[in-house]
Amino acid sequence: MEALFEYRQSLIDGTIVTIQLALASVVLAILFGLLGAWAKLSRNRIAQKSADLYTTLIRGAPDLVLMLLFFYGGQKLIIDLGDWSGLWGYVEIHQFTAGAVTIGIIFGAYMTETFRGAILAVPRGQIEAGMAYGMFKLQIFTRIIWPQMVQYALPGFTNNWLVLIKSTALVSVIGLQDVVYNAFVAGRSVRQLFTFMFAVLVIYLILTAISDMGLRWLDRKYSAGVRRA
Amino acid sequence: MNFEKLMFAVFAVMLTIGIGSATAADKLRIGVEGAYPPFSWKEADGTLRGFDIDIAMMLCASMGVECELIEQDWDGIIPALLNKRYDAIIASMSITDERKKRVDFTNKYYNTPAIFVAPEDSGIEISASGLAGKRIGVQRATIHQCWVEKAYPDAELVLYGTQEEVFQDLAAGRIDAQLSDSVQSLEGLLNTDAGKGFAFVGEAQEDLECFGEGAGIAVRKGNPELVQSFNNAIQAIRADGSYQKLSDKYFGTDIY
Repeated sequence: MEALFEYRQSLIDGTIVTIQLALASVVLAILFGLLGAWAKLSRNRIAQKSADLYTTLIRGAPDLVLMLLFFYGGQKLIIDLGDWSGLWGYVEIHQFTAGAVTIGIIFGAYMTETFRGAILAVPRGQIEAGMAYGMFKLQIFTRIIWPQMVQYALPGFTNNWLVLIKSTALVSVIGLQDVVYNAFVAGRSVRQLFTFMFAVLVIYLILTAISDMGLRWLDRKYSAGVRRA
Repeated sequence: MNFEKLMFAVFAVMLTIGIGSATAADKLRIGVEGAYPPFSWKEADGTLRGFDIDIAMMLCASMGVECELIEQDWDGIIPALLNKRYDAIIASMSITDERKKRVDFTNKYYNTPAIFVAPEDSGIEISASGLAGKRIGVQRATIHQCWVEKAYPDAELVLYGTQEEVFQDLAAGRIDAQLSDSVQSLEGLLNTDAGKGFAFVGEAQEDLECFGEGAGIAVRKGNPELVQSFNNAIQAIRADGSYQKLSDKYFGTDIY
């Protein structure tokens, strides 16, 4: 227990990285998810097919494999491209960026399905009414679809978010010093791995409990006007 | 989109992905692990310490180059080397044929021998006949399992998932002796309270096929000059005695 106190700064720093990473990734995941949902629902066959390919591929492969593939594969690709074209020598993909983009891409695939379902739940007639009023597509989206789809998407979104927070632990593989990485190094340095893993468990529980409260508040806000059975 | 625009877009992307753009290789970058005491560990204030770390600094001083230590998780330590995140790995990496397919190694910079550990008063004799029928514990899929199977075929081999379990069962009396890395035995058992009444028995076990040559420094393939300068530096710190002093400080013996 003394060791935990001694290494507290490292745990706090790691927790901050974990939170930042989760927030950055979820923003990207929402963007990819909306884009994917739009593509899947569009009448453009190329958009449809590529969105199908995206969700099938990403949801079918283990997160860890994708993480290693994007980070090391992407880095190698950029270096090889530089060598080949002679335009740049060594460049390093920033680990935080790589981690956030990878998790964003992975969870964007899950968000795509969540958002697609939510958009389909918005009554078609309302969208047609919007068109009849001469609204632009963006107006229809912000005024009619978005306020209603959030309510339908929230349960699925909450699930995705909770899984996403825990998936951030994967980034310790690429050397990003998140809470899991720091706890591992500290735990092995003082030979008290179990103590530190327990601390990590508690930290994740606190993070998920806080986000659960936040999401419930959002749920209440967006369900205003809907009677709870 | 015309070509200039495309190039501009490419550069914009490169910039936004946060380039550390250390193009010039003015510093020698060395990958270390930081989670393998006593060879490398991390202090509470974040500084890296340990035998590997000190050896790295000593070799750099001897080579007359400025070095930068880069911390990297063990699982990604070879891929990051291949991706040029650093130029060499000093992380107690055993020189094995499997790894030689992907990286080049310098000569060994240490080789801690495997030695049997048994109760002090057991009078066990380390020989093919002395160990016949005795229960010998080792961690599975290790160089130690390889050696016991090869050299002491009549011993009864007991396999464990982790070295910690081997020590526990030895202390509990379920096995007659165990074979593991001698430094690990000292740190994990003999120098602890649980290790009272136990001692090393027999000679250091040696075998090139099972144990390899020891721990070396890994560098990317096709860098013979770097390998050569590391080898010269290892020789130099052996010759002037600074290696021996360092090894003595950590282990009380010369582990070369």
